[in-house]
Amino acid sequence: MTEYIYDATFEGFLCCVHAHYYSGKASNILPAEDCLQASLLRTVEIKTDEEKADIVYRAIEQKISPFDLRRVYRIFLSGEKGKEMQLLEYIRLGFIKGKSISSYHGNPTVRNAELLEKKVTMEAHRLNGLIRFSVLEGEVLYARIEPDNNVLELLVPHFADRFKSSPFIIHDLRRKRALIAESGQWYISNFAIEDVECFAETEIEYRQLWKNYFDSIAIKERTNPRCQKNFMPVRYWKHLTEMQ
Amino acid sequence: MKDIYEKLKILAESAKYDVSCSTSGSERKNSGKIGNTVGAGICHSWSADGRCISLLKVLFTNNCVYDCQYCVNRKSVDVQRASFEPEELARLTIEFYRRNYIEGLFLSSAVEVSPDYTAERILKALRILRRDYDFSGYIHAKIIPGADPRLVELIGLEADRLSINIEMPTEKSLKLLAPQKTTKSIFAPMKQITDTLIERNALKGPGTMFKGLELNEKANNYLLPAETNATRNSLTVKRHKSKEKFAPAGQTTQMIIGASGECDMQIMKTSESLYKTFKMKRVYFSAYIPISNSPLLPDAFSAPPLAREHRLYQADWLLRFYGFTADEMFDEKNPFLDPYLDPKVTWALRNIERFPIEINKASFEDILRIPGIGTTSALRIVRQRRVRAIKYEDLKRMGVVLKRAKYFITCSGKYYGIKSMAPDTIRNDLLGIGNEHQISMFEESSTQLTHGGNPWDNVGKRNKDIIRGN
Ligand code: SF4
Repeated sequence: MTEYIYDATFEGFLCCVHAHYYSGKASNILPAEDCLQASLLRTVEIKTDEEKADIVYRAIEQKISPFDLRRVYRIFLSGEKGKEMQLLEYIRLGFIKGKSISSYHGNPTVRNAELLEKKVTMEAHRLNGLIRFSVLEGEVLYARIEPDNNVLELLVPHFADRFKSSPFIIHDLRRKRALIAESGQWYISNFAIEDVECFAETEIEYRQLWKNYFDSIAIKERTNPRCQKNFMPVRYWKHLTEMQ
Repeated sequence: MKDIYEKLKILAESAKYDVSCSTSGSERKNSGKIGNTVGAGICHSWSADGRCISLLKVLFTNNCVYDCQYCVNRKSVDVQRASFEPEELARLTIEFYRRNYIEGLFLSSAVEVSPDYTAERILKALRILRRDYDFSGYIHAKIIPGADPRLVELIGLEADRLSINIEMPTEKSLKLLAPQKTTKSIFAPMKQITDTLIERNALKGPGTMFKGLELNEKANNYLLPAETNATRNSLTVKRHKSKEKFAPAGQTTQMIIGASGECDMQIMKTSESLYKTFKMKRVYFSAYIPISNSPLLPDAFSAPPLAREHRLYQADWLLRFYGFTADEMFDEKNPFLDPYLDPKVTWALRNIERFPIEINKASFEDILRIPGIGTTSALRIVRQRRVRAIKYEDLKRMGVVLKRAKYFITCSGKYYGIKSMAPDTIRNDLLGIGNEHQISMFEESSTQLTHGGNPWDNVGKRNKDIIRGN
């Protein structure tokens, strides 16, 4: 049994799966940043190798299914610790059951995968609504998020279509990365700028109007903070204009 | 001139009791500069009352010439009045939309001057949005009863969804409480919208209620007798260019619950016939919040019937997605929903001879009728059965609520409920009422349904517990 350390990339993870089958069973798979103390177990650092990653990628796609490949990728975007071993479990089971793996809804491994995937897609869906842009000078839209999961990429289809005629930036403060898009083209890159403050003149006015609207629309007789927090967890409030 | 802050405050406050906020059911790519609509629907925020904010929901004006009894904006009350300018509203929508505050616009209105005058102003605002700002986001427009059919059609060409409020569950209460609105002025535009959708081969209908039925074929609709079709054509605008869409997200309506004396059976029957006749996407309910002190209405201190609204929505769900009919849910002896149990459980207890149902054999439709099993878990059950038999332990992982389902199922022949299949015993067990307490509970808090009375009269303050307890 070996503990594998990898570079936190998806390809790196696929190489760990490769190593599990060809070099020795994995007792654990950890991203490099997470393993500060030396383990008692045998620890091997996996070098990311495109070719090996590609083999595993295709194996999942062909021997399991494209649906499950997508599921694996989405789960990989999860911010949850220990997701790697859960993924390995799922992939192993997938190689045994083939494309029907996702029909075993009662199997704990499949159930876990469903739940993890749902957390990721749920957060992306939630952010489609909860992201707040500010209009900067020059009509650039800029938003900050601190999501639990690495969802930037999952936000692309929605926002790239919706705002195709105005350039926008969605900045993941937690991961110091940003999605930058203009006229349907986009890329994700490291983004270290901390204080974007060059707001357009009318920005403050529209924020006020929005808050004003937000307060007016609530029905006092039905006030229900529990329900509100349930749908809109407090951890998202920091970047919500109306909750400031 | 009122400034925009004040206007927005007045016109949002007067629109806030409107319930339909859902933006689902329309899929529109960005064909202009800004905006698209998404099939699944997106919530952008949740207000302090826990309701989803998806659209900028405002009245175009609250300066009403009508005098509906249940309404905050009726002519005879002294409230602040305001009206948007079309350009002003379009601008506000765009500015909110690009900041991702909203999914689009939900525009309703009081009747200022006349229905046509108001409808024309609304049309103008929508045209500025669609044409000048090139907006492809979601628009829900409310049709003012009595507006010219031509205006209805033109508004439909700009909007994603149209609605006309039916307001009351029966014509009698409508006459009593909204004397200036006639059923004709409400049903005529409803029919016009459905006819136009059929003509354009675009009628979709509610949920899975008409699954497999081609709604746009005349034979499947009793809405399009030949003559009405002919008269319509003289009214309609020049025939559509291929790109133009007419209300692609269909039409909805809304009725107020608890302002008039109808029982739940009447409410659900009216909803059902709205679905059947007009193929509405949805019928919304709005718990009446005592805002006016008309002698015709519940007094100003009564609690809004939120628990009842909640149960009615559950019943509505059974109509739209679970294959139930109103007749199955009620009969003359049971004209009300059970405040303490969801309508599916109530139905199951009344039809206990159909249970238990074997999870590994039953059809999808039968599985959907088991309390505690929703569409997602029903689908999972059917999927897994193809590769492996379902064990009782699997069910929880599939999202089944065993607390409710266990009384009504067997899994590979084994039953996991309680010894008795007697409806009353199951009901008490579900509610956690021990047999020894049954008698005293019955007297103290009347958790049993008293035949004949309106059970919602006793519910009042304990609304929250009921909702939580389900
Ligand atoms: S028409 Fe009736 S319901 Fe509508 S705003 Fe006027 S008074 Fe209120």
